[in-house]
Amino acid sequence: MKMSTKRRLKGIIYQILAVAAMIFLLLPIYQMLITALRPSDLPWISPMPLIPEKVSFRNFVQAFQLVPRLPRYLLNSFLYGLGVSVISLGIAIPAGYALARFEFRLRRPLMVFIIYANMFAPIMLLIPIYVIMKRFGLINTYLSVILSGSIFTIPLSTWLVTSYMQTVPKDIEEASFIDGCSVYSAIYRIILPMISPAVIAVFIYAFITGWSQQFILALVLIKTDQLMPITQGLYQFFSRSSVRWNEMMAAILMSTAIPVVLFLSVQRYIVKGLTTGSLKG
Amino acid sequence: MLILPLLLAFSIFMLYPLYKVVESSFYKASFLNPTFRVYVGLENFRWLFNFKVFDPRWSYFVAALSRSLLWVGGSVGIKVVLGIAVALLLNSQFLAGRRIYRTLVIIPWAIPWAMSSMMWAWTLNSQFGLVNSILLKLHIVDKPVTFLTTAKSAFLTTMVVDAWVGLPFMIIMFLSGLQSIPDDLYEAATVDGASDWTKFVRITLPLLKPVILTTSLLSLVWTFNSFDIIWVLTRGGPIRATETLPIAIYNVAFLLTRFGGIGKASAMTMAQVALVTVISVFYIRTLRRGVEI
Repeated sequence: MKMSTKRRLKGIIYQILAVAAMIFLLLPIYQMLITALRPSDLPWISPMPLIPEKVSFRNFVQAFQLVPRLPRYLLNSFLYGLGVSVISLGIAIPAGYALARFEFRLRRPLMVFIIYANMFAPIMLLIPIYVIMKRFGLINTYLSVILSGSIFTIPLSTWLVTSYMQTVPKDIEEASFIDGCSVYSAIYRIILPMISPAVIAVFIYAFITGWSQQFILALVLIKTDQLMPITQGLYQFFSRSSVRWNEMMAAILMSTAIPVVLFLSVQRYIVKGLTTGSLKG
Repeated sequence: MLILPLLLAFSIFMLYPLYKVVESSFYKASFLNPTFRVYVGLENFRWLFNFKVFDPRWSYFVAALSRSLLWVGGSVGIKVVLGIAVALLLNSQFLAGRRIYRTLVIIPWAIPWAMSSMMWAWTLNSQFGLVNSILLKLHIVDKPVTFLTTAKSAFLTTMVVDAWVGLPFMIIMFLSGLQSIPDDLYEAATVDGASDWTKFVRITLPLLKPVILTTSLLSLVWTFNSFDIIWVLTRGGPIRATETLPIAIYNVAFLLTRFGGIGKASAMTMAQVALVTVISVFYIRTLRRGVEI
């Protein structure tokens, strides 16, 4: 009897602590929601009501008037994400196969370098990237952001693909070699289908990173409005002296919903790859 | 060869740029005039320690570096402590609805950093932000706080926002570390009459230590490289209070061209790369002890 009251008390205390943690973690998301849903013609009240007096979706329509290029920014971010993920996987799949299957002298140093390369951030290479892109006349092109963005997603993509390929038994593709299959067709016909959920997860990881985290690269490489990713595009409106917060939050909500939904759908694989990525060899 | 594209990508977009950073740090050059370049030897490195402009006590670089270290230390500290606390909570059998909480925790992870900062800027607004309404309602403050306009509070605020951005990753990593600790260890301890605290100190912490170590090192590097959050919230202001090393590098290379330039910014980047490399060495060593590479 005493034990069960103690348990119940613990359950209540933990519940309160968990709710407190969630308030901290979800507070800006909640503020975004109520601001985006509150009609912009209602007078501002300080402090803002926790639940909007009236709910309307007009801000989402008006966001397109406030930020006329919103569809363009979203398209650009989509293209940056797509470019980065295609390049990342195009490099990670063959490299991952080699690292998972073959024993060669460069293998160990390369695995260590991949871990090191995963530590790199745009700020560390920003100046040479700018100089190189300028020399090749690539400033203000999609290609500049896609190429320089890929280098920061290639390491983790290769690492994840390698660790998933190691889970596929060797004899499966060896049987196909006897049937006269080339290495490439063995990868694409036999191995990739077996680990397809993981490959899709890596693709989405690279896509989200390309979509979301190109802010600093775009800041130096992209000068015209037409090529800006959504982060940089919205930042222009954010850094003005007066911000139209209702429409702004509606725009941010629409443009973050895509990466968030994508990420939630594959986070299981990414977390699994990150935590159990023990690479033997 | 299958590995060739990877080697090419690494050489062209990582090793060659790294070499360019080292090379340019010995030259005087500017983006304004691409044809002009003079070899200046160690001049740029001397500049790092001699150039005092905003503060007579510290050079511009030393000030940015020490600010960076303080900021990173604080942010990673928050991430590790809160990360462990929330992970313990979400791992506890006494908590109902763990699955829902675990999904909710992940959401901030997927939001672009620049967007998170814009959302936070609005949440911290002195008139209409929820943070101020909560603080006022709980009588923690008696008048609204302006978080980003005074030096000290801007420093702390950007630090907390950065911790917010990095927290989901920490929680998930710690949570999976906790789940790998076998239950029978706790059951045996319960039979021996151990208290919750004893179990935490004697079982949880020692077994979680490798995960804590690797995750903290990873977070240390990511936080040290953090740019977007500060840039969107304060641009390094007010009065340079949040100008960490990445912000200073950007400023010297692209904005403060009158006293800056490629050479000086490259010398500063060398410090950034060196610090990341040192932490990476520790990280790879701890990884090796845990798993075989």
